[in-house]
Amino acid sequence: MAERRRRKQPENYFDYSLLFIVLFLLGFGLVMIYSTSSYEANMQGHSSTFYLRKQVMATIIGLAAMIVVANIPYHFWERFATLAYFGSGAMVLMVLIPGLQYSANGATRWIRIGGLTLQPAEVAKLGMILFLASLVCRMGRGIRTTKGFFTVLLIPMPICLMIWRITNNMSSAIIVFGIAALMLFVASPEYKKFIIIGAGGLAAVAALVFFISQAASSEGMGFRSERILAWLDPEAYANGKGFQTLQALYAIGSGGILGKGLGQSMQKLGFLPEAQNDMIFSIICEELGLFGAIAVILMFLLLIWRFMVIANNASDLFGALLVVGVMGHIAIQVILNIAVVTNTIPNTGISLPFISYGGSAVLFLLIEIGLVLSVAKGIRLKDL
Amino acid sequence: MGFVMLMLPETKNKTYIRKKIVVAFFLCAAAFLLLIGRLVYLMVGCSGYYTEAAKNLHERERSIKAARGRIIDSTGAVLADNRTVCTISVIHNQIKDPEAVVKILSKELGLSEEYVSKRVEKYSAIERIKSNVDKATGDRIRDYDLDGVKVDEDYKRYYPYETLASKVLGFTGGDNQGIIGLEVVYEEYLKGKEGTILTVTDAKGVEISEAGEERIEPESGNDVHVSLDVNIQSYATQLAMQAMETKQADSVSILVMNPQNGEILAMVNVPEFDLNDPYTLPEGSPVPANQEEKQNALNQMWRNGCINDTYEPGSTFKIITAAAGLESGAVTINDRFSCPGYIMVEDRRIRCHKVGGHGAEDFVQGTMNSCNPVFITVGMRIGVDRYYDYFRKFGLLTKTGIDLPGEAGTIMHKKENIGAVELATISFGQSFQITPIQLAATASSIINGGNRVTPHFGVKVVNGEGKTVKVLQYPVQKDIVSEKTSETMRYILEQVVENGSGKNGYVEGYRVGGKTATSQTLPRGSGRYISSFLGFAPADNPKVLAVAIINNPQGVYYGGQIAAPIVRQLFENILPYLEGMDYNT
Repeated sequence: MAERRRRKQPENYFDYSLLFIVLFLLGFGLVMIYSTSSYEANMQGHSSTFYLRKQVMATIIGLAAMIVVANIPYHFWERFATLAYFGSGAMVLMVLIPGLQYSANGATRWIRIGGLTLQPAEVAKLGMILFLASLVCRMGRGIRTTKGFFTVLLIPMPICLMIWRITNNMSSAIIVFGIAALMLFVASPEYKKFIIIGAGGLAAVAALVFFISQAASSEGMGFRSERILAWLDPEAYANGKGFQTLQALYAIGSGGILGKGLGQSMQKLGFLPEAQNDMIFSIICEELGLFGAIAVILMFLLLIWRFMVIANNASDLFGALLVVGVMGHIAIQVILNIAVVTNTIPNTGISLPFISYGGSAVLFLLIEIGLVLSVAKGIRLKDL
Repeated sequence: MGFVMLMLPETKNKTYIRKKIVVAFFLCAAAFLLLIGRLVYLMVGCSGYYTEAAKNLHERERSIKAARGRIIDSTGAVLADNRTVCTISVIHNQIKDPEAVVKILSKELGLSEEYVSKRVEKYSAIERIKSNVDKATGDRIRDYDLDGVKVDEDYKRYYPYETLASKVLGFTGGDNQGIIGLEVVYEEYLKGKEGTILTVTDAKGVEISEAGEERIEPESGNDVHVSLDVNIQSYATQLAMQAMETKQADSVSILVMNPQNGEILAMVNVPEFDLNDPYTLPEGSPVPANQEEKQNALNQMWRNGCINDTYEPGSTFKIITAAAGLESGAVTINDRFSCPGYIMVEDRRIRCHKVGGHGAEDFVQGTMNSCNPVFITVGMRIGVDRYYDYFRKFGLLTKTGIDLPGEAGTIMHKKENIGAVELATISFGQSFQITPIQLAATASSIINGGNRVTPHFGVKVVNGEGKTVKVLQYPVQKDIVSEKTSETMRYILEQVVENGSGKNGYVEGYRVGGKTATSQTLPRGSGRYISSFLGFAPADNPKVLAVAIINNPQGVYYGGQIAAPIVRQLFENILPYLEGMDYNT
């Protein structure tokens, strides 16, 4: 294969493996969305393919966007880096404008322009990847200084805080910060600082959890601390904060090794809220069992491996950092999503890339894949 | 992986970035591995626990009522049965043609279309339209085969004889549990064991038909066979109704039992009520002001006078005084007495019902005359201590132990409060109260040779296959009086009917014994009387004992004149009937 390709297109490399992995995940996601949402859609008075059709539309638009972006040399976007940073900040602020804001499920996280709803947090993730890649390149060796280190660490903070506070979406804030942290980790030659910060962070989280679980008996705990308590013992909060988690655990646990079979989930019949959305992985576990779940995780591992390969072979630092950002974005979301669903960490709303139901998420993910494909195209085959 | 490790020609700067990218990849891979470990723990280690929990969540339990056991009389007639009734409900999500459903259901069930459509349109898992629909209507609705309409079959208690022995049988409530009467006492045998249907439902409780269902079949209750005889009960009811109407009495009770073993053949308390409609007060009764008043009125209607109410027995109680006197040797049948029409007890002058007095008489004649001074004299001879001991020995201080709920106890003076006057009044059946069943049981014991029997209905418990599961046993207290005293009592009481005050109880061709009573109810002077007669036959070997009690009759109120004829008519019919039964056995 490689030889034939080299003969036909000696100058270009195209990462088909990545494309096929993405297409597979998208196809698998659509099957699972149909499986999880059809009953619920019927109950709401829609046709059983209601959610599927919406997702197919978003996927088609996303694939079109991906093809366009993949064919634009990625350096084209570098000039918009600063705009992307401030633009995403401005979009988050737009959520506050009554004419533009759009609420769903009791949260105001979307803006609506001309019938199109968009989640600014998704834009911000992409914007942050582009901005930081460009910033690190411009800093050059400056990244090695402590000042440079903290500049890259602190610059995403305002956006993160805005996402957290204004759209009340802590999980997206964490992801944006995580992307920035991973990009910094790659760009900086440091290890010690990361280990210290990482260990410090872990200790702080552990202390917080300990404090909350100790204070659990005293009343007047906040919204988030109750979430932590529900995480520690979901069955004690079965009717409140622990409900969704517990339902997810029922789904996962009852799946067993081989699962109940595609379409045979019981938990999707109204028991598990957001089954086609954030909780879709638990339905995958219930229907396809441990084997299905591991297969999905391996697909994501394969995807991340492709990102690593492309980043390592990118023709320049900007391209490599773009791919690292996308890799960070997808890896963090997959890890956090599965961790939430399995009650490994406290419940917070994170969707599973390419598989969960959600239009803007899949659109922006595919734009990011387009970027990666564009970077991959820049790899000169003669350098391989 | 061939080209992964190939290096681009570049600076040292790039080299560490590559390393870091690989580190980042392996960090992610490590995280994935941890999550896989977590999944293995959840899906293999905890699978059993979560599968069970999920199953409990998805399954709904619906109970299937067990058929309640029947109550069957001594002739094999079914007194309490079950009828299949249907409950019609609609399942909103499964309805395909709401208009047809509304139209058909309202037509078949006789409900307004408005009522039905409101329920059809209601967004709920399952909505009950009507329950207790008879089976024919239910079958018709099922034949329409409408989507979303559910016809569930159920059992409802049904009493084929409607009002017959209503206060004895009792009835059942909404959960098929006994409320009063035999239905309560034999609940444990009758009720059976509920079955369950386990169905899988979605979060809203809508059944998922593909998932199928698990069924645990119900166990039907056992039949209880009772000693009651429908024929005797029916005839006694007729007589009681007749007497109540002609005498414009408040109520009439008739009790028929076998004095040898305590089996009750009939227990009538008119007015009875309709067991198939026990919550409707009789026509013409005042409309109750509130729920509490209605409940009181219902309780009053359900009362079984033979066992729930006490009364002053009056002269029928002379049987007990006589037996105690004979047994203790305080009196013999040949003892002579003289009645001047009254007797002085301490400073009190207690009158005989015959103002002029009965003059000279022996004990048998005294009993035939129901002469108060004779019995007061006997009572005095026995004395308080011995009298009280006999009272206890005859079982009058305890309940009879009849298998019906709510038996009233005896209302008696405390022993230390019994002076001469009290003893005198007790001797002829006044100043204390007992239940009619107590009188019947005690009299039975005195005439049957001295065995204190337990009056009862329940005979045996039979399961669905016709096999006897349990023969019901009742305690018997032997020798409360001697056989000789018993024989003497039978002779005296036969004399009462042959030649004395009970002659209206005489039945041509049979030897009947008995005793009349007319007692004034408290407060004295109210003009309210209770007339009664206790009779048994054959007098030499009693097979049947009957008590008739007329509560507040108008006009003639003497027991010998109005109560004795009831027992006579009853005996005239049932004695040949019972003999016929004997031939068969």
